[in-house]
Amino acid sequence: MAPTPPTDAELDTMIRARLASLGIDLDQLPPGTAADPTTGSPGRDSVLASLRSFMRSTVPALAAYQLPAPAGSDPAHAAPFSQQPAPMLYPSISTQWRT
Amino acid sequence: MSAVDRRAFLARTAALSAAAAAGVALLPTTAAWAGGPARFGDGAYVRPRPEALADPTELTLAEAAWMIRYGKLSPADLVEAYLARIGAYEPAYQAFNTVLADPARAAAKAAGRKRHTGPLHGIPLAIKDNYWTQGVRTTANSYLFQDFVPPQDATAVARLKASGAIVLGKTQMGPLATTRATTPDGRITTVNAWTPTNPGTDPGGSSTGTATSVAGRMATAGTGTQTGGSITAPSNAQNLTGLKPTMGRVSLAGIIPLSYTRDHPGPLARDAIDAAIMLTAMAGQDPADPRTQGLPRVPDLVEAATPTYSRGKVRARWSTRIGVLPGYADGTSATALARQAFLSTVDKIDGVRLVDVPLPDEWDLLTGNAFNNVRLPERSEPFMPYLRGDLRGFGVSVTGWLQGALLGSNEFITGQRAKLLLLERVLDQIFDHCDVVVQTGPVPFDILGLPEIGFPIGFTPAGVPIGTILGGEPYAEDRLLSIVAAYQAVTDWHWRRPPNPPAADAAARTLSLPQERGRLTADDVVAQMQ
Repeated sequence: MAPTPPTDAELDTMIRARLASLGIDLDQLPPGTAADPTTGSPGRDSVLASLRSFMRSTVPALAAYQLPAPAGSDPAHAAPFSQQPAPMLYPSISTQWRT
Repeated sequence: MSAVDRRAFLARTAALSAAAAAGVALLPTTAAWAGGPARFGDGAYVRPRPEALADPTELTLAEAAWMIRYGKLSPADLVEAYLARIGAYEPAYQAFNTVLADPARAAAKAAGRKRHTGPLHGIPLAIKDNYWTQGVRTTANSYLFQDFVPPQDATAVARLKASGAIVLGKTQMGPLATTRATTPDGRITTVNAWTPTNPGTDPGGSSTGTATSVAGRMATAGTGTQTGGSITAPSNAQNLTGLKPTMGRVSLAGIIPLSYTRDHPGPLARDAIDAAIMLTAMAGQDPADPRTQGLPRVPDLVEAATPTYSRGKVRARWSTRIGVLPGYADGTSATALARQAFLSTVDKIDGVRLVDVPLPDEWDLLTGNAFNNVRLPERSEPFMPYLRGDLRGFGVSVTGWLQGALLGSNEFITGQRAKLLLLERVLDQIFDHCDVVVQTGPVPFDILGLPEIGFPIGFTPAGVPIGTILGGEPYAEDRLLSIVAAYQAVTDWHWRRPPNPPAADAAARTLSLPQERGRLTADDVVAQMQ
């Protein structure tokens, strides 16, 4: 059974904790939703809303993706085949030593 | 390891060993590039059109190169002509954040005394402000770099200067290369040169200032960087020819990073030959950037960008199949009509054949928002010291950097695995059937590091340029240039220049404040960022 999706409060706690663990203090941004009048930086509530949306869209979409098995392979082997493709930071450059 | 790679590796290892033995600090990873001028054939010098002779700023790079080579124009006079336009129209365009008038004059005077170095000898260029320029402030339009004066040039800048080019100024850009050009707090600066009184017209970003300076004839050509369309989009928006080369063609050493795997330096120019001259000078192996090593040699790009004729009729230099993606020219919008006309025109060029190609499997998913966002940790990681410092230093652009810090390693690796899958599908399902392919947006080939060229194909009824993009196989910049050269030999879109800003308007804007042009919010930046 899929876990219960996190609430706004849970996501806010996770986001703040993750950033704090990296040494990033979200409270440097102005409180509320108004942008900082000097720098244009968004208010921390606005940023949190945007980051919650990011966590609910980009992260699960990437996490759910399973690389495909070769055409015609046994569906029962989909998971082990999905482990085989290699990551490639620079795919175009890799063509010079892959062929 | 190739012979060249091995030599570079051994040289660096020896230097590091010597430094360690001497008990001194290790060498910086970004050593200053110190090579000579690029080599060019006679094709890089084009006799000027008669109508261009009256005004040096109207000359293309290749035409100005011809004039300088044959002593009909001095670098000093060329620089003065551009400085005069900057003096008259920069208040309206706001394309530069730094104009290097006196250094440019000095460099032009020196060029007049030096041995001729090639087509870039004495040519004034606009340099995007994320390229390091030695002794000249390099801000990337960000508070974070507002006082940064680099100790050396970016390799690409060093190469251009070694070929004789003059840095005329640093150009306005989206803060840290995210959006159209604004101040760090989001206030719009630069306008589209075709609609100088309407800041609402998209000038393309983030290499906005370079595009406006070249389109507005305040520089002969210029440099940009592309992570998510930032060369092709402003080129399309302002009637220019912009070439985003394959990843690794041009060194990224000395360029403020946005996303390591997707930042591509390249030229914005007036036509295919100018883009070829610029890229020839910028491209090549650099010991300071391993991504440039072990790659195919840079072909003769100028020759590729020179139209060929058979019995007086333009023909493609190489027989070329142009792939047409589904939906590319569908509809009745101005863009659709321009695309239909473009396809009809290139289809009539001897040696060109249009072929329908499919969108590869899972195209929308693998090139869509979530997989595009895989780039974001690449921007947060190198900025960690800044993120720990003061988030307000990122101004209106901070959210993307925080998103990057939140994306987990699992998702990042999934994205890297999907990139290779996407590349294989593009090669198998598109390039098995064609040599170049039209693009409906720049992002897919930015994800993959494949080359793209943006060029003009028409105008809207309101007089705003319409451009299109062709994409190519790895290191096939020559093929892209050859097709655009053939197309430009039978069309005149690329010769058209925007009218000067109204004099009264130019004068009025001398006193105007940037905020009068509008302002991007943090949410706007998230929606638009490269």
